[in-house]
Amino acid sequence: MQFTLFDTSSETFIMSVKSVSVHAKWIVGKVIGTKMQKTAKVRVTRLVLDQYLLKYYNKRKTYFAHDPLEQCTVGDVVLLKALPERRAKHVTHELAEIVYKVGNVIDPLTGKQVAGSLFRETLTDSMENPAGSLTEKLQELNISATSEILQKPSEV
Amino acid sequence: MPMKGRYPIRRTLEYLQKGDIVFKNTVKIMTVNYNTHGELSDGASSFVFFNIPQIQYKNPWVQVMMFKNLTPSPFLKFYLDDGDQVLVDAEGKDHKDISQHVKKILGKSEEVLRAEELARMVHSNPANFGPKKYCLRECMCEVEGQVPCPGLIPLPNEMRGKYKSQMKGTEV
Repeated sequence: MQFTLFDTSSETFIMSVKSVSVHAKWIVGKVIGTKMQKTAKVRVTRLVLDQYLLKYYNKRKTYFAHDPLEQCTVGDVVLLKALPERRAKHVTHELAEIVYKVGNVIDPLTGKQVAGSLFRETLTDSMENPAGSLTEKLQELNISATSEILQKPSEV
Repeated sequence: MPMKGRYPIRRTLEYLQKGDIVFKNTVKIMTVNYNTHGELSDGASSFVFFNIPQIQYKNPWVQVMMFKNLTPSPFLKFYLDDGDQVLVDAEGKDHKDISQHVKKILGKSEEVLRAEELARMVHSNPANFGPKKYCLRECMCEVEGQVPCPGLIPLPNEMRGKYKSQMKGTEV
């Protein structure tokens, strides 16, 4: 909503800023391009009713979102928030959060990493105390070797 | 001739208008994550099949997005205006349970809906004449039993101002 105020005393126009630059305040979409600096191209799909078939189909629209830290990669699912004023000719939204990072989807119910219908188990067993386990294994090997040498003459 | 597709009743206006869930004004986005195979996701996939068209019909300004086979467990996520997010678990639930639960937490109650309908009726007076967008009728000629539109049928001479002025001129 834009309106102008004419200040008669100083004879200057005071333009008020638009309250929201776009109709949609919050949007969820998929990132399709990151080739622009600090900007992500996001495709948003909404369900639109076909009047004759009475069936809902996805209708695409691309939005440009401001991404100051360049965190997005192509394929991320992203939540955008409308900017209070239009930042550039086409950029009307900014990145609020990355909902599902491509290749690293985290299940919101459990908090674990997930791939499709399986849980991705992180490799914790091999990573715990690598140095400690190696020295322990060496000691075990030494013990077994000496025990064999001791046993051999007795066998023969 | 029957309609095409399985459960073509989903594609009728009557079915769409019978949708229960009208979201509160703060709900902006609805996201459904479900899996195409697997028994646990059955409820969520039938919710998407049967109830999503009804919800979208009743809430045209809410963005509804579906994600298939992203996570092992099905769930619904709602994004509200303040930045709040609501997570609803849908694993092992029936589609009716899911829709009732959603209506309970984020839907407008019956009283609110009735009050809104009353407000709409009060706002629009059926006795008014005006553009089709705001009123039922545009001109009195549309009403049965009234004088028909002179554009279609010429008026009788007694009602025509031109004829009356001509008669006055000739008499006097």
